[in-house]
Amino acid sequence: MVEWNYSESIESSSIVDIKNKYQNYIGGDFVSPLSKKYLDTISPSTEETLTKIPLSNKSDVDKAVQAAQEGFKVWSKTSPNDRAKYLFKLARLIQERSREFAVLESIDGGKPIKESRDFDLPQVAANFFYFAGWADKLDISWGTKALKPYGVVGQIIPWNFPLLMLAWKVAPALATGNAVVLKPAETTSLTALHFAELCEIAGIPPGVVNIISGDGSTGSELVNHSGINKIAFTGSTQVGKLIQKSLAGKDVGLTLELGGKAANIVYEDAAIDQAVEGVVNGIFFNQGHVCCAGSRLLLQESIQEEFIRKLEKRMQSLRVGNPLDKNTDIGAINSKEQLNKISSMVDEGVSDGGELFQIECELPGNGFWFKPSLFTNVQPSYNIAREEIFGPVLTTLTFRTPDEAIEIANNTEYGLSAGIWTEKGSKILWTADRLEAGVVWANTFNKFDPSSPFGGYKESGFGREGGRQGLLSYLKAES
Amino acid sequence: MIEIKKTYKNYVNGKYVRSESGKTFTVDLKDGVYEIPLSSRKDIRDAVVSSKTGFKQWSKTTPFTRMQILYRLSEMIEGNKDSYIELLKSHGVSAQSAKKDVELSIQNLVWFAGLADKWEQLTGNLNPVSGEYFNISHQNPIGVVFSLNKDELSLNLLLQSILPPLTVGCSVISLSDNASVLALKFAEDINNSDLPSGVLNMMSGNFELIHEDVSKHVEINLISIHSSINDEILKNIEENASLSVKRVKHLPSNEGLSSILPYLETKTVWHPKGT
Repeated sequence: MVEWNYSESIESSSIVDIKNKYQNYIGGDFVSPLSKKYLDTISPSTEETLTKIPLSNKSDVDKAVQAAQEGFKVWSKTSPNDRAKYLFKLARLIQERSREFAVLESIDGGKPIKESRDFDLPQVAANFFYFAGWADKLDISWGTKALKPYGVVGQIIPWNFPLLMLAWKVAPALATGNAVVLKPAETTSLTALHFAELCEIAGIPPGVVNIISGDGSTGSELVNHSGINKIAFTGSTQVGKLIQKSLAGKDVGLTLELGGKAANIVYEDAAIDQAVEGVVNGIFFNQGHVCCAGSRLLLQESIQEEFIRKLEKRMQSLRVGNPLDKNTDIGAINSKEQLNKISSMVDEGVSDGGELFQIECELPGNGFWFKPSLFTNVQPSYNIAREEIFGPVLTTLTFRTPDEAIEIANNTEYGLSAGIWTEKGSKILWTADRLEAGVVWANTFNKFDPSSPFGGYKESGFGREGGRQGLLSYLKAES
Repeated sequence: MIEIKKTYKNYVNGKYVRSESGKTFTVDLKDGVYEIPLSSRKDIRDAVVSSKTGFKQWSKTTPFTRMQILYRLSEMIEGNKDSYIELLKSHGVSAQSAKKDVELSIQNLVWFAGLADKWEQLTGNLNPVSGEYFNISHQNPIGVVFSLNKDELSLNLLLQSILPPLTVGCSVISLSDNASVLALKFAEDINNSDLPSGVLNMMSGNFELIHEDVSKHVEINLISIHSSINDEILKNIEENASLSVKRVKHLPSNEGLSSILPYLETKTVWHPKGT
């Protein structure tokens, strides 16, 4: 085996100034939580405590919602063209300070700097740019003037793409004239709290953007607050169902971006080397903490052996380690809790009878790490083939015919994304038509763009984020 | 001469069937009293099985054919205009309103028929992604729709609750309560219209008795409620729906393009460009 040795190339963290303690951003002011409680936030790659963030309670949520109600009054009277200008301004500010945010994202969340720097941050800015331009074109977006903003939108986002999920939520909500109360995930709140500073610098009117940190209890207070007109949630299917249930019978809008178990289908006539590359990107991007990750590899039987051999070889070249090292491919698992979940699901896969391949590599002593893993010899009934693992673990199933591939791919409650690998155009279109998934990547995977709608079928949720269709998540039809 | 009276039955999977429960409820019209099916949990299950088959076929029927079938449905109603007017009158609707209602129904049906092969050009689009990719968003029908009809005696309102999902390729289970006789009469035109079996299922009954079964059935993909229902029942339906992330639409818009949006899932497909 070829040894791939790299010299460390560490991104300096001096560009970020992490404060000793953070405050909520409510009504245009940075305020201490009324709860008087804080949570420690740690770096998952070192387990070092970075700082304290507010653990907001019911009173904090109440204060934020009231501020948002005032903010909405101002924002809905702000001219659409001015709303556009504010968003363009925000987009520019993000670009200017993008390295600082990228480094902070990697420190706080554990993702490799090459991803936070080259993927997350450029996408964050791009989302604000894209939706800025819609703010003054809503009347022509769907050929009707009957679409109106909800008012106050509560937004709850996950820890896998902290600032990008903020951008996916905040940019379209503001463009359509809503005011927001956003709650970032408890393990990754820092970039959102830094983003609040940008809102202040951009001069966004007080109350239009409110950011409060906290845990699940904070999120629950937000969902159940009577002043909320719409909830937008990204996270697990389990929590999404609870939110849908809490809102039952209430006149509150809801969009849900939930879990996935995407099939990545490789036909025998695929360009194999490209497919191997795509499959690796599909599952190991962001440590596999991706709701649309290609976590179920569906291989046509005739190429199984060759493909697995090439895949294992390619996996072995992945570099796991310090997220701030520019060579790192796989960073830290986001939290101890998530690491335990991944480990126990992998153990279960082994005891069910799955054959496990893990790459040989040294893992750092501190922090949360998991070796890139591949399961073969898996039955569709195993949990590792059905449930979302949300980690760097790929499960392989095989098929003989295209019809069988479709059947296996759709045999899940999820329907977020899917991949197709073949050099035959008609087979791509035939397959794409039959897959029950909101995003289908053909001969590519994990591509995102603010103009491209994202969101699921079935239990992967409802509503779209991004694109013209994404506007509808923040506008309601009024006759 | 003795007049013979029609027996109204549910219309499921292209067949006229009584409720398996054997239960009926009474509708008192000017020309007599009618006993019509009080649909049960088992009837709903049968209708879902039928709708799943219907959906498979209808969603792969070409838009051009769907358009013609819906247009043929308008031909059927046109041919039976007088009998609809008579039926509405026997419910106590004035002759003038009845005539207007049937004319509006035909108008609406023609509008939706013509939309069947166009809506995707209005709801889908290419996305100008940054990079060398072909990226298109288009829509698929959401699947099996359960639709609760309004209580008003109106063929047009019944059609407004059914046509948006039908036009985009969903199959529909339509339940009527107060307007049941009208809905079950409409089933006769469905039967003559070339619509494949199972695509449109017409049932009568009391929603309060079966809302639990409807909202818990995981193979119903969307529930659209066109009548104002009791808050407690709505809450219960939405709670049950959350178990399978089922979509529930209460009083959805019947206007233009926004009428079809709830019944669509957007699918976005990416492909690289290259040589």
